[in-house]
Amino acid sequence: MLAPFAIFFVGFFIYPFFYAFYLSLFASRMGVSHFVGFGNYLLAFKDGSFWSSIVTVAKYGVLQLFTMLLLALLLALFLDSPIVKGKAAFRLIYFLPYAVPGVIAALMWGFLYSPQLNPAIQLLSIFNHGKTVNPLSPESLLPSIVNIVLWEWTGYNMTLYFAGLTSLPLELFDAAKIDGCNEIQTAIRIKIPLLRPIIIFTWILSIIGAFQLFNEPFILSSVTTVPANFTPNMYIYNMAFAYSNFNYSATLSFFLAFVTLAASLIFLYVTSGEQRRERRANAGPGRR
Amino acid sequence: MSSNKNRLGPTALQRMHHTSAYATRQTIFSTVILVVMILLAAYFLLPLLWLLVSTTKTTDVLFNSPMLLPSKPGNFVTNLKQLTNTNGGMYWRWYLNSIGYSTVTATLATFISALAGYALTKYEFRFRKTAWFLVLIALLLPGATLTIPVFLLLKSFGLMNTYFAVILPMLASPFGVYFMNVYIGQSMPNELIDSGRMDGASDYQIFGRIALPIIRPGFVTLFLITFIFSWNNFFLPLLVLSSAKLFPVTLGLDVWVSTLTSPSTGVPPYPMILIGSLLSVLPMIVLFPFLRKYIAAGIATGGVKA
Repeated sequence: MLAPFAIFFVGFFIYPFFYAFYLSLFASRMGVSHFVGFGNYLLAFKDGSFWSSIVTVAKYGVLQLFTMLLLALLLALFLDSPIVKGKAAFRLIYFLPYAVPGVIAALMWGFLYSPQLNPAIQLLSIFNHGKTVNPLSPESLLPSIVNIVLWEWTGYNMTLYFAGLTSLPLELFDAAKIDGCNEIQTAIRIKIPLLRPIIIFTWILSIIGAFQLFNEPFILSSVTTVPANFTPNMYIYNMAFAYSNFNYSATLSFFLAFVTLAASLIFLYVTSGEQRRERRANAGPGRR
Repeated sequence: MSSNKNRLGPTALQRMHHTSAYATRQTIFSTVILVVMILLAAYFLLPLLWLLVSTTKTTDVLFNSPMLLPSKPGNFVTNLKQLTNTNGGMYWRWYLNSIGYSTVTATLATFISALAGYALTKYEFRFRKTAWFLVLIALLLPGATLTIPVFLLLKSFGLMNTYFAVILPMLASPFGVYFMNVYIGQSMPNELIDSGRMDGASDYQIFGRIALPIIRPGFVTLFLITFIFSWNNFFLPLLVLSSAKLFPVTLGLDVWVSTLTSPSTGVPPYPMILIGSLLSVLPMIVLFPFLRKYIAAGIATGGVKA
């Protein structure tokens, strides 16, 4: 029963993983492969273009995570509170962009970013000391991409949070109400702490996603100038398919996986550190 | 008495005043929230509305008319005809490809995941823990790490530029196995397997006759998620396909978009790209209200358990 999965899993996950590692240990000179050990990794470590792409996605990630996940959380809390009416409709509307392929979303926003097509773009000048904003110019490319991804994925994350909120036991909120908690206090003191595992899960997913960024900038490069090393994956793609340097691109892929893993682990460590401190504080002599 | 009245008076008034102030604050608070929610609903809906409205415009009108007001409905038909006639109906070919890729991928991947999830949940065997560990690692591994070697693998098998190149790498889905593991664990008691065995059913009969009917809702959920994932797929087809006849819609539209900036290709195909984009998202958007429940349940399984 496991066999069909095992065959494809070995074929398209395990074997490629080791093959990529194997490739990363070689370099091709004049069409002949030479074993270079970890030479490619050393090269990658000193590769300014690669690091600049990592810095770009790191900046992108911070901006993306804070705007998208906070908005998603806020929306889920609104939808879970008794104040809002027409919940089903809102839930559906916010989640709808999930049904739109990322490529189509990027393409659509690419058009909407053109001032000729979208006069509303001129309103953005309010935020720029009255100067006109071109969302496709090099300096605003990053927030423009953040907006596309925000549009696509906020509803997905909201749906996750909302599912978490609806699975909480109702007695908890009755107890809170009796204790005189209002909606905001209930949200901050009870709902958010209980959602913590899901929140951490979505942050990890989004951190991985941020380092993988490819489709949106790639599509936008059809309508504006996007540097070939804008994101690590674009750089890897170009290394493989524009320069046919598969050895180095395999190295960079591994490097990227490592950086992604490190970022996720650091995030987990920091958040669990907070929890450790809390636990220590709760168990401390002062509380007893 | 009068002093008593005086004392009571303000208190009642105060209380009334206090309550009404509280109520007003409450109303303002909920109004603000409602306004924010409506604005955000507009943010999520307007781009799609714009896409819909734009399909009633010619290139000329597109640049010189109010964004969200439709032009002539007749233009929709003209645009649709142009879309259908370009390159001998290439767009519809892409459309069929997308349907084919997504249906085959989703059906096979869901079935394979169900089998593997079932085996990992219900059977004790050597290396079960190892297998499970590998699946979890694969779940966290950035997909792009594997793209280059998968590309080279497909190339060495001579599968480049074939339907197989887009479908085969998608069939083993760590998420699918994880999902099925959780789902089967929750919905199917072990006693059912035992009673099936007592009745003399083979393992495959137990899976087919007992497990599959029970996990049908989970099957539908995973099918939908995989279908959407596959319909949205872009990176893999971009790497492995070179002939336009095999493209899915996403890749085909991207090729059209990239002709917008190259000056030599004649009239920019704006209306075609817009109507093509709309048609590629329309079925899913129309079906979405009915499917939302299943999809939400599916992604929530991943989140709640993690």
